[in-house]
Amino acid sequence: MEIRVKNLKRYYSDNLVLDIDNLTMEKGKIIGVIGPNGSGKSTLLNIIAGLDKGYLGTVEYDKKPIDKETYRDMTIVFQKPYLFRRKVYENIEYPLKIRGVDRNIIGERVEKIIERFEIEDLKDNKAHLLSGGESQKVSLARALVFKPKLLLLDEPTSNIDPESIKIMEREIVRFNKETGSTIIIVTHNMEQSRRLCDDIIYLEEGKVGC
Amino acid sequence: MDYILEGFREALKLLTTFDREIYGIISLSLMVSTTATVVAALICIPIGIHLGIKNFRGKRAFSRILYTFMSIPSVIVGLMVAIILSRKGPLGRFDLLYTPKAMVIAQTLLVIPLILGLTYSLSKNRGKEIENVGITLGGNKKDIIILIIKELRLDLMVNVVTAFSRAISEVGAVMIVGGNIKYRTRVITTTISMMKSMGDYPTAIALGLVLLVISFVINSIIYSYSGED
Repeated sequence: MEIRVKNLKRYYSDNLVLDIDNLTMEKGKIIGVIGPNGSGKSTLLNIIAGLDKGYLGTVEYDKKPIDKETYRDMTIVFQKPYLFRRKVYENIEYPLKIRGVDRNIIGERVEKIIERFEIEDLKDNKAHLLSGGESQKVSLARALVFKPKLLLLDEPTSNIDPESIKIMEREIVRFNKETGSTIIIVTHNMEQSRRLCDDIIYLEEGKVGC
Repeated sequence: MDYILEGFREALKLLTTFDREIYGIISLSLMVSTTATVVAALICIPIGIHLGIKNFRGKRAFSRILYTFMSIPSVIVGLMVAIILSRKGPLGRFDLLYTPKAMVIAQTLLVIPLILGLTYSLSKNRGKEIENVGITLGGNKKDIIILIIKELRLDLMVNVVTAFSRAISEVGAVMIVGGNIKYRTRVITTTISMMKSMGDYPTAIALGLVLLVISFVINSIIYSYSGED
């Protein structure tokens, strides 16, 4: 999915926190959004995710404004993920269940993604009681299971163990290669953005820098 | 002091001998309060969740009005329902006054603001985060309301139990609309009040004990269920 942002402005009270004239994020690429704290990275991500609608300007998804179908084709993984108060397996199958996917296909896809994320031993555990790294892996698995055309990641690997980071980065790249989906990742980690991203956008005080 | 002990002895005797009138009163109380609480919960939980996560003009004023109605005195609700259901009232033709149905209506109206207010407050504080996750995973409005109900189920259950406690322990509304008629509309609280004024302490104590036991059993169920975490 291609994302095109035009004349985007976001004010909080009288403060202009985001001011982007023109920005295109190409289909099928992994795009890193980096910048210091308060530069508007997460605000931009929330706007693209359709969660923040208090902006001026336009955001287009494959040259169309956001609609119900767009919401179904994208997802976001937050820095502090919210996992449902149920088993890990039930968390991961949720996006497929609400899409009415056949039960056998749900089983196959959930088992496959659990295996890829190496969380087989956690699948019957209560998700809201997991550690930080485990929660992030489950949250990313839940996001990837329905193969979104646009995946938004808001600092998904901050404050988690190196082994979990390795698994998550591997799966992000694999997902991009296999599906050709667009991935936008907000990160503080320059090394990570170099490892993962095709393009990098630098934000400073709400504006796109060099 | 002796008459209090005597009261307890008589109370246990009444309960263990399965006195027909006492058990009739207990079952009517449970039926009226359970029905009122279930009806109110079915109406108010989805509405409260929807209003809690929705931003609308006048939300602050709405909150204040709702929270005020949460503590509405039961006699006022009873009086309102009695006026509406009285022969000359707008619903007088249904002849509902002094029937268990009138008591259910009064208690439903009494607990509606309570369940609505508690659900609204819960959803306002914790529903937004769940809604955001639901939206980003592709859920529609119905999916999201169901998701929030499931996620907040323990807190919602506590809210419903709080409402049930208010319903079963109130005396004003059921006294006014039910009339405390023997074998028809007599419930635990109205009987305790009447027995006390008649000096029949054993029956009053027996029913008081039953109220305590009901409260204890319900709370035990809730706490054992929430202990899953």
